[in-house]
This record gives sequence, C-alpha cells and structure tokens, in this order.
Amino acid sequence: MNFSRKSFLFVAFTLILSLFLAACAGDPEDDSDSTNDDATETSEKSEGGDLVIATATDAVSLDPNGSNDISSFNVQMNIYEKLVNQDEDVELQPGLAESWETIEDDLWEFKLQEGVTFHDGSEFNADVVKMNIERILDPDVGSSQASLYEMIEDIEVVDDYTIRFKTEYPFAPLASHLAHPVTGIVSPDLIEEDYAAMEDGSDPGTIINENPVGTGYFKFDEWEPGNYVRLVRNDDYWNEPAHLDSVTFKVVKEDGTRIAEISTGEAHISHPVSPSDVEQIEQSDDLVVTEQSSVRLEYVGFNMAKEPFDNALVRQAISMAIDKDQIIDGIYEGFGVPAVGPIPPDIPGFDDSISGLEYDVDKAKELLAEAGYADGFSATIWTGDERESIDTAVNVQSQLEEIGIDLKVEELEWGAFLDQTASGEHDMLVVGWTSGTGDIDYSTYPLLHSKNVGSPGNRTFTEDEELDELLDQGRQTPGEDERFEIYKEAQELLVDIAPMIYTHHPQHLLGVRNEVKDLTQLPTEYLLLKDVYIEE
Amino acid sequence: MFTFIIRRLLQTIPVLIGVSILVFSLMHLIPGDPAQIMAGESAPEEQVENIRERLGLNESLPVQYGKFITNAVQGDLGSSVRSGRAVTKEIGGRFWVTVELALYSTILSVFLGLIAGIVSAVRQYSFSDVAIMIVALFGLSMPNFWLGLMLIQWFAMGIDLPSWIPFIDSTAWFKPSGWGSFSQVVLPVITLGTAGAAIVARMTRSSMLDVIDEDYIRTARAKGAKERSVIYRHALKNALIPVVTVVGLQFGALLGGTILVETVFAINGMGTLIVDSIQARDFPVVQGTILVVSLLFVFVNLIVDISYNFLNKRIDLD
Repeated sequence: MNFSRKSFLFVAFTLILSLFLAACAGDPEDDSDSTNDDATETSEKSEGGDLVIATATDAVSLDPNGSNDISSFNVQMNIYEKLVNQDEDVELQPGLAESWETIEDDLWEFKLQEGVTFHDGSEFNADVVKMNIERILDPDVGSSQASLYEMIEDIEVVDDYTIRFKTEYPFAPLASHLAHPVTGIVSPDLIEEDYAAMEDGSDPGTIINENPVGTGYFKFDEWEPGNYVRLVRNDDYWNEPAHLDSVTFKVVKEDGTRIAEISTGEAHISHPVSPSDVEQIEQSDDLVVTEQSSVRLEYVGFNMAKEPFDNALVRQAISMAIDKDQIIDGIYEGFGVPAVGPIPPDIPGFDDSISGLEYDVDKAKELLAEAGYADGFSATIWTGDERESIDTAVNVQSQLEEIGIDLKVEELEWGAFLDQTASGEHDMLVVGWTSGTGDIDYSTYPLLHSKNVGSPGNRTFTEDEELDELLDQGRQTPGEDERFEIYKEAQELLVDIAPMIYTHHPQHLLGVRNEVKDLTQLPTEYLLLKDVYIEE
Repeated sequence: MFTFIIRRLLQTIPVLIGVSILVFSLMHLIPGDPAQIMAGESAPEEQVENIRERLGLNESLPVQYGKFITNAVQGDLGSSVRSGRAVTKEIGGRFWVTVELALYSTILSVFLGLIAGIVSAVRQYSFSDVAIMIVALFGLSMPNFWLGLMLIQWFAMGIDLPSWIPFIDSTAWFKPSGWGSFSQVVLPVITLGTAGAAIVARMTRSSMLDVIDEDYIRTARAKGAKERSVIYRHALKNALIPVVTVVGLQFGALLGGTILVETVFAINGMGTLIVDSIQARDFPVVQGTILVVSLLFVFVNLIVDISYNFLNKRIDLD
C-alpha cells in the first residue's frame, strides 16, 4: 500500500507543478501589453496597430454576390467600395461615384471618381462598373440580391467616368440600392478570371472568393475559414488611408467566450453583445458597450390567410393586448424602441405623427367580442431557435391569456422555420426584418406587398389592394416629398390593417475595449473601420 | 492477426455506405431549403430558384446521392454549398485539430482515471476511495459547456488573488480561445477530458475489485510476489480489458463532445464545421464530415480490438 500513496503524492505534485509552470509560462506578450498601457497614457491619434474583432459568425463568402449575411458584408465593406455609401444617419454619401442625378424619371447618371485603382493595379472606370452590375444580374452567377437591380434595363457608358442606368419604370430608390454591399466593385481582371473558371466548371465566385480584390482601404491578406479573416491596410488608397495596420475578424461563437476575449485583450471588439451580457461588460473598467439604433423591425406576425386572423378586428385586438414594454424591458433589457409600424425611425420617410395601436386590454376584449370571439380561441405561435424570439413567443402567450386566447408555442430550427412559415403553415410567428438598403421601399415592399407573399418576405400573407397600390406608387414616384406623402398614407393604412404586432426596433450592441477609438457602426449593423485607431 | 485486420477493414465498407445513406436521407428529410437559407430571410424568390438551380438541388435524390458516392470513392467529397470550396479542403486542417483535442483528452482521462481508479480499488472504502468516487460523480454529471465557461472565467479571465499569496496575483494563466499553443490547449482538454476521467476511474475501480478477489491474485500473493507486481502485472492487466473497451467508445463520445467544447473555446475543428454546415443545410460538407468521423471511429475501435490481444493472449482475433 505504501507505493500507491507515494505515487498518488507524486501525481498530485506533478499536477501542481505543471499548474505553476503554466502560470509562469503565462503570456509574456500580454504582460508587456499591459505595461505599455500604463507607461504611455497620452491620448494622441496613433497610426498602426492590429485590430481584432471577435465575431459570432464567420464570413460565408468574400464575393459580394456569393452570400447575403452580415458577417460576409462586414469583411467585404473594407475590401470593396460601392458607388454610393450610407452614413450613420442612413443618408446617402458619395463613394466611388462623385455625384448622381436623374436625367429623366427612368434615367440615372452617375459621375465617377477619377484616379482610383484596384489592389491589383487595374484601373477603375465606367466599364468596370458596367461589368460589375451586369455580373449581379447574370442568372449564371445566381446572385442572392439580383432582384434589387432587376429594374435596370440598360447600362450606358457615356465616357470613362460617366455611366447611365436606364430603368424599366421610374424607380426612386435606385441610388439606395447601389449603396447595398452586394454592389461592392470587384476588379475587372478578377471577374474575367472568374468567368473563365466558370467555363471550366468551377462554381461562380470561386476565384473572387479566394483572392478578393477591390479598391477599398484594406486589402485581403488571409482567410482561414471558421477561424479568422485578416485584412491589411491599403497604403495606395486613392483617398485618406486607414489608420490601422491590419484588421482580423476572429470567429468566436460563444457569447461568454467573446466577452473573455475582450476582457483579456485577446480581441478589441465583441460583435455582437447579447443584451443580457451588457451588465457584466459594464462592470469592467477596460470595456464599454456601444449602442446603435437599427433599421430592423422585430415583429409578431399573423397569418392573414388563415382564420381567425383574416379578420382585421382580431388582429387589432391582439395588437392592443400586447404591452410592448414587457418585451423590450424584460427580454431585450431595454435596448430597443417600441415600434408603431414597420418602418424604423431612422429610415427617411418615417412619419412620427402616426401613433399606432395603443396598449388597451379592455378595448382589445371589446374588439375580440365584436369579431365574434368573446370567449377567445386557440392558435399556435411559431418561432425560430434564437433565445430572444422564443422568449418573445412565451411572453405573447402569457399576455394573450388575459383576453382568453390560448396560444401554443412551437419552436423550430431556423431553416425549418423559414421554410414552413414561407409556405404559410403557421398561425402566428415571431421574426424580424432588416431594411438592408436603408430605403423606405425596402422596409415595406418585400415585407407587405402581395407580390412577395411567402419566402420573399411577406410571411403575414398580407394581400391588400389599396396597400399594394400605394407601395407600387411609392417606389415609382420621383420627388422625395411626393414619395414620403405616399408612404405616410401607407403607414396610416398599416395601423388599421395590423398585419403584425410591430414589437420594436432593437439596438445593435458592441463590446469594445477602451483603447479603440472612432469606431462607427451603421444602423444596418455594418462596422466602419476606416477611421478607427488604437490609443496607445 | 493480419487477416483479422483485413477482415475488419472490409467490414467497415458496408458500415460507411450505411452511414452515408443515413446521413444523406436525414439531411433531406429535415425541413428547410438550403437555397432559401443561403439566400437569406429577406431574399426574393427568383434568387432562391437561381441558387437551387446552380447547386443541382433540382435533381432527384437518387441522382444526387449517386453522384456523391461515385466521387467520394475517388476522394472527391464535392464542394461546399456555402463557400464553394472543396469539402476535403474544408475538412483539411480541422481534422487534425479535432483528433488532437480528442486524443489529448483521452490521454488525460486515461491517466487521471487509471490512477484514481487503482487508488480507489486498492483502498476500498477508505477516505480516499470515497473522496475520489465523489469527485468522479461530480465530473461525470457536469455538463462540459458549463465547465468550459467556468474554466474560462477562473483561469483565462482569472481571479485576483489576495496579496498574501506570494509570486502570483491573478489566475489568468490560459487563453480563452483558439488552438495550438500550450496556453490554448489546457482548458479545452481539461473540459473534454473530465467526464472521461470520471468514467475510466469508476470503470477501473469496479473492474479491479472484481479481479482482486480472483484466485490467481491470492496465489500471486501467496507465492510472495511484491504488492506492486501483484497490482500492476496480475490485477491491472486483466482489469484493463473492459477499461480499454470503454476508452474506445469514449473516444467516439469525445468526438461528439468536441462540438460543444470547440464552440465554447472558439476552436476551428470538425465539431464546429458540422454544426455550422447543418444549420446552413450545407449537404456536401455534412456528409463528408460525418463520413470522415465515422471512419475515424471505426479505426479507433479496430485498434481497441487489436489491443485486447496484447492485454490477454487468450483472446483469439482470428
């Protein structure tokens, strides 16, 4: 027995020793970092540095036409530039286009920046723009966003730096659509190479995805899928270059681990931060949480093709029986603003004079009785597997109990959820909609026009002739004032139709280390990294 | 022995075909259209149709499967629906990361488990036996994602220690994420290995206790063999057979466990690849990865079978 005690002690000793060794081995870099911080506390805009962003999901593709997700575009926005940019107020700013105007209602002219070169040295001009837009529209490429540009009938290169787009019908939001990241301008040589590879049987975008080349202030350096994407500064940028030497988008899925990353200094930014983790981050002296209003709508939709939700009184009753603050405060920790309609307040054209349906349980009961459901009814509410959506469904369930409606919560895996709600199997559903182009048309047309029923976005199966007419007019009317007048009418109409409970517009949250300065996040969730610097 | 290995290798072929058919049909039975998921919730119908066309998802299932299996035999597992990269390339380096993680965790669990199990068995009902078994029960019942997050909290973000402790002022010793350096490997391996160590400890203890009461152990002691020799040469060697079986099966469980551990520690291995691909309905990657994992599992169990023969010559493999 003697030996086993000895060996046990030996093992214990080895374990303790290895822990100590590990402690000493620690992280020499981290130690030196922290001493640097203490030594130089002068705040001066510093050049250089490597910014690490811990992001919940990896980019899917680095070809602008290869996918349609925030993570991919967040990386691409630094490599490629668009003709038009969107700023933090969702207003349009010149990008690769210096200026633009409508010559006729259906003819747009864009003047392009001169002296812009791609990372591979090739030159930027009107032919390149034409080539890029034609690639988006090419059915062989199968771009996920081609429909944003389907109204473009003809592209005319007037001279090297002037290009005209002729649209099938007057299309007011065209410039906004050209601010969508899918129009990131790719090097012409690369597009040609990609087409050549397609002829040899490669999938579209294979070449572009492997070595993306644009005109942006960062250049592609390396991508280890599932792990990180690294970009380095483009020193030959045609405009003011970026401050940082490099940016690394590091994939860290778990919320808690992303917080550990920024607290230990392994990363500078956690994208995103869950509302329930804000308190923990704010306890640290090294970290801050940034808030940005969004162009997203979270909603609880009705299936208007099904009884009893085909009855406007029922929909209004349910909308009035829901106290939105319970959802915003209880589930989103107060990070959001109550919605009165589908249009986020940041979108130009949003009308703040419209008050929407107020929370009033007694009125809700009256309406329900008037609709012939005095004793309530039972239905099912569908949700995807996101934590906040499930909580919202459960909250709605408990609130509707008060007016006698018995809801069953059905939780589905995200893919299954999208599929089955597109085919209209649900009674009610919890989902959201992001106005990706920042134009009021995108907040309404795909979401509520009868043309877009099902998977294109209209999952409430809203089919209302009057609304359709307004939405059609809205996108085809040129002048801003006239347009917004039409949308005002649509917003009023949508209060009565009540195709959904417009729950709220959430806030985008980031966890950021104190030394990171001049970071901007757009309402569309993208990060602007050009002006970012790391304070030493 | 050689014919046994050949025979076992041939037996894996129908297993793998079975696995591939199962995976292929399962993926298509789950509701959710990969084209729709790729295009995004806010994408128009024509785009979804375009993508479906491009991916060949319009073809019948037997045709899709036939193409998959013919190419797979030639080492071509197709290309990812999402990224367009070859599946073999997607799996590439991730394979070794996951194998390393599972292997280190197995080594840790065998090392800790054996020692704990032997001590427990040799000193049955003593204080150390009870203490080890309580710790083992705890290790077994702890969900590993929780343990991982706690370890990150304690040893990556660290706890500030009181000033009377010399030399160290905080326990922030390891990195919270990634794979490669020693400071990145420690926490995930402990997280993944703990439950295994507990199982091996309990298994070793009960198996040793069975063996220790056998006649041949009494005989060994009676003829004056040293206690060390009795325990290691006579008892442990025979007690190891069920333990080895458990370790083999455990390795498979570890491959599953890596999914959670890789997610928690942001390790770019096959576990995260499988989850991401299932969520994105990236059929070729899911099929390829599961095929590779089952191949690995079959291979590990082959090694287990062969090792029986080394532990006990009477086990006839042929």
